[in-house]
Amino acid sequence: MTAISTDGKPAADRQAEKKWRRRSLAALAILLPLTLAETSYDSVREWLHGEDLVARDVDFGRSAPFGGSDWRLADLRGGKAGRLPDRAFAVIATFSVTIGDPDLQRLWLGCKLMLTDATGRRWLPDFISGVSLPDGVMNCTSAIFSGAKKGDVITIGDTFIVPEDAIKTIRPAVGLGSERPWYLRFQRPPK
Amino acid sequence: MRTRAIGNLLILVATVALSYGMQVSKPHYADLTAPIPVGGAMHDMVRARSFGVRLDKVVFARALKTSQFGRTKLLTTSGLWAVVTTSLTATSASATVADGTWQGPAGLRYRQTERLGYRQDMPPHAVDPGLERRGLFVFEVPADQIGGATLLVAARQFAPLDAQARISLDASLGDDGQPAEVLPQYDLDAPPGKT
Repeated sequence: MTAISTDGKPAADRQAEKKWRRRSLAALAILLPLTLAETSYDSVREWLHGEDLVARDVDFGRSAPFGGSDWRLADLRGGKAGRLPDRAFAVIATFSVTIGDPDLQRLWLGCKLMLTDATGRRWLPDFISGVSLPDGVMNCTSAIFSGAKKGDVITIGDTFIVPEDAIKTIRPAVGLGSERPWYLRFQRPPK
Repeated sequence: MRTRAIGNLLILVATVALSYGMQVSKPHYADLTAPIPVGGAMHDMVRARSFGVRLDKVVFARALKTSQFGRTKLLTTSGLWAVVTTSLTATSASATVADGTWQGPAGLRYRQTERLGYRQDMPPHAVDPGLERRGLFVFEVPADQIGGATLLVAARQFAPLDAQARISLDASLGDDGQPAEVLPQYDLDAPPGKT
């Protein structure tokens, strides 16, 4: 019974066909995940370039190259000022930035100043009525269009509203479109 | 030979039936990417993905008083104004809460009014982690859409697969099915708790 071929093919041919069928099945196991990876590559890359995911820590007083310029935390101060909710503080963080590559409109696109705390929460800048930035300090967006040249030192800062329970561990951070998923996180000034 | 042909035919019929079943039971794309509901009751903090919302109060009124560019405006309606006061907070990062929808008992949906223009206490609400802020959502709804209504709150109007808080409203109704208390006029600029 086993020696009789139903479709008239020689046994050797059938063996070869069987072998190729097995190989095709094995190839599927490799090709399907590869296809999945290829089609999702663009979305994954887009997502990574839009999120501040990996922190690069910078000691206080040190500067770090980021988005073509050197960033240093100039000051971090908090207090009760202006109109604030209960148990909240106003915080002003300022950075001193030495411009390296002056193409800020490309390198600093999506510039974001943030505060992070020990539990990983993040605060973005808020408008606080009655609190304004010190003279000569601009926010990130104005800095992009300030026309700063190579070698200029500019001061960038913003105001934040932070709850009382976070104020002891907050650390300022900076994210730029050209550097994401990496972002800079600065050590607090010593007391 | 014959059993094989019958077997093949059976497989074919089964495949067609299965394919047809899969086709008719396939969810619509809009349902596959719909917001993910997070249910809750009034006065409870409902935790969505990026924000938390607590429905504190609903006030019904026949007219809204507001000042715009220094001029007082009185907005009337053929239905009722529903002014919903909420407390909002962010979960882990500063966020905005921009979308509020009033869903009537039969599922009719009313988007928040755009007749008021820009106001600080109206959406989009900027919220921060660890801080609660008061936020209003204002709707213009027919009187018969109030009993058994649900408030839907989401970060954005089109937010596929993002959380949407759904809070059931328990407004006290009179015998006629209309809200028990309807103010003739509600002043949006009066300090909270004074109207």
